[in-house]
Amino acid sequence: MKQSIRRIGLVAGREFLAAVMNKGFVVGLLLMPAIIAALFVVFPRLLNRNVPAIRGEVAVIDPTGQVSGGLRAALVPEAIAARRRDSATRALQNAPEAVRNAATTTPAMERAIGTPPQLTILERPANADLQREKQWLTESVATDGQRHLALIVLQPDAVVAAAGSTKYGSYELFIPENIDVRLETELYDAVRESLVAARISAHSLNRAEVEAVMNVRRAASVTVAVGKERRTNVAFNQALPFVFAGLLVFGIMIGGQTLLTQTVEEKSNRVIEVLLSAVSPLELMAGKILGQMAVSMLVLALYIGIGLFALMSFAMIGLLDPILIVYLVLFFLISYLLFAAVFSAVGAAVNEMREAQSLMTPVMLVLMAPWMFATVIGREPNSTFAVALSFIPPVNTFAMMIRLGSATPPPTWQVLLTMVVGLLAAAAVTWFAAKIFKVGLLMHGKAPNMATLIRWARAA
Amino acid sequence: MQPALELKRVRKTFGTTVAVEGMDLVVPRGALYGVIGPNGAGKTTCIRMIMSILFPDAGELSVLGQRSALEAKDRIGYLPEERGVYRKMKVGAFLIYMAQLKGLAADDAAARVPQLLQEIGLPGVESKRCEDLSKGMLQRVQFLGAIIHQPDLLILDEPFSGQDPVSVRILREHILKEHRRGATVLLSTHVMANAEEMCQHVVMIHQGRKVLDEAMAGLRRQFDLRTIHFEPLDAGADASSLSRVSGVERVESMDGTYRIVLMPGTDPAGVMARLAAAIAPARIELSRLRLEDVFVRIVAEAAGNEVASQALRASVTVGPEGALA
Repeated sequence: MKQSIRRIGLVAGREFLAAVMNKGFVVGLLLMPAIIAALFVVFPRLLNRNVPAIRGEVAVIDPTGQVSGGLRAALVPEAIAARRRDSATRALQNAPEAVRNAATTTPAMERAIGTPPQLTILERPANADLQREKQWLTESVATDGQRHLALIVLQPDAVVAAAGSTKYGSYELFIPENIDVRLETELYDAVRESLVAARISAHSLNRAEVEAVMNVRRAASVTVAVGKERRTNVAFNQALPFVFAGLLVFGIMIGGQTLLTQTVEEKSNRVIEVLLSAVSPLELMAGKILGQMAVSMLVLALYIGIGLFALMSFAMIGLLDPILIVYLVLFFLISYLLFAAVFSAVGAAVNEMREAQSLMTPVMLVLMAPWMFATVIGREPNSTFAVALSFIPPVNTFAMMIRLGSATPPPTWQVLLTMVVGLLAAAAVTWFAAKIFKVGLLMHGKAPNMATLIRWARAA
Repeated sequence: MQPALELKRVRKTFGTTVAVEGMDLVVPRGALYGVIGPNGAGKTTCIRMIMSILFPDAGELSVLGQRSALEAKDRIGYLPEERGVYRKMKVGAFLIYMAQLKGLAADDAAARVPQLLQEIGLPGVESKRCEDLSKGMLQRVQFLGAIIHQPDLLILDEPFSGQDPVSVRILREHILKEHRRGATVLLSTHVMANAEEMCQHVVMIHQGRKVLDEAMAGLRRQFDLRTIHFEPLDAGADASSLSRVSGVERVESMDGTYRIVLMPGTDPAGVMARLAAAIAPARIELSRLRLEDVFVRIVAEAAGNEVASQALRASVTVGPEGALA
């Protein structure tokens, strides 16, 4: 027994070192955080840095005669910048303080505001020919760099409702092809603002009073739990199930893929029989599974560490219940064991990677399933569907992890039941896989199909 | 003392194919046994059963006094026919790993590696990756992997296949050295010349059955000393006088030399003296025992099929790798 454990340890150690002391592994390990960093840091900068200001002309047909002045004022670059700043601040209202502080620093705000467009307002007479003006939109004038950007046509009753009606008229917006979406939004906002201003003054109301009446600040909800309260963070709660499911799948893929390729390689370069003279097939399989598990754990630990560091640096660490990390590790171990057994059995059964593909397809589909139902379960974590999936291996661990990450976590007995079911399934699959592993290692020749594998398991 | 290896009526089938049937074998401690037979005779299956990589359908076996090789793994060295290495691993690390799996401490193994590599003619390769070595060098490394833990029982399945003559010689020396150290050695080969040069005892397998189990010394007595190669000094000499020498059964002429078969029970020394007296010889020698002759005589000539016997002879003579060093 002691000898056996020693040999398993030796095999695991070799597997771990062979996987880790490898340029490909280090590159792969760093690549993922690098891509994420690129997405979060470099990409927004690329988007907003040095964008040349949009310059162009906006034509206005204003039969009321009371809007175009206000519109002109609302579309000067300073006004646009002020509106962008307001909306950015509003968006950050519910963000944790550290994020808000980081985001409202001058450079960050400047980036969010970007370069406001330089617009020239052209007032057209109230009786202008609409068709001619639309025609004007399609003529792009390149000589002075001024593009024809939009045509705004206000309805005659846009400021004062027609007699006997309480409904105001509105406006129409015509734009050419390929216009910047953000500019379009600016135009909507500016027209809205100038129309509201015109209507208020037409009714001789005090604008400040009206705004005060209309304004109700949206509260940030507070999640109440036993003994503690924390700010609800909607985005965080929505992302967490995905992150958890992703980490589980990712961890299994890292270890499982290497397990598969290493076993196929050992078999195809005939090192396997040399090994079998020193270790039993079961010791070999156990050692390989444990070795790759260590690799997966290392990678997971690194990514979880990066995640925690990121949360800490934004002072969001309080949002994460530490028990979730414990659950993540436990569920990872359970589902890794199950999948690793399958991966190693497939590796032992085939002669080369190409033959592994057909046997791997169902396994990969199962592994991808969590992505498909992460949204559904995340939204309704206690629905019958979600609860049922929590007890059906091999997806039960993923389903439960998604539920644990959601805003309304499942009862503890369900979590424990998921673990028990997962462990039983893992034990059963490992038992079956070990038989295939044992027989498959020395089998060369035709690639086995499912029926052959079952026959092997019976024979072993 | 218990034998190193014992098989009793061992049988193994793969589907409908009978690979090994009724195999009885006893290998005493400290012996050097050769298992010979053409490809597909069942040698590797036997060895895999001895190693508990395969399990017999029927029969019993004991290895180093244990019921299975699994219980004596650390005392057995095994070089399988299908042998490989971790291509990306360094030679030294690979050997240390193999030694550790066999129960050696890492330090002890690391201390042995450079000396073993030196002895086998590969000094200083421990820091090279396995993939950078030639096939012949790798085979020597693999052999070291089988003996690094100084096993009591060394099992070598086709140790000479794919080797150049130099490697064959080096390997043979080291196998004999292990034998002198006290290890029981069992090696298989389909090239019978390899076995007849170094084994004390040969076991012949044909179509899954044992057809011969004899000490080389006994074989020599039993099967040979009945053929004399004779080359006259004067090529034009009348050879007819040779067949009249007493004790000679018949004379076969083979381009300038003669193959003289003696009557059973004749003392070759007396005949040789009489032959030399009849015609002055350039060369006269008692023919070396050739296991392939023995094999063909036992297997094919019993069946009386000339074509089959020639095919068999071809299959056990010099392998495609030219291992007759």
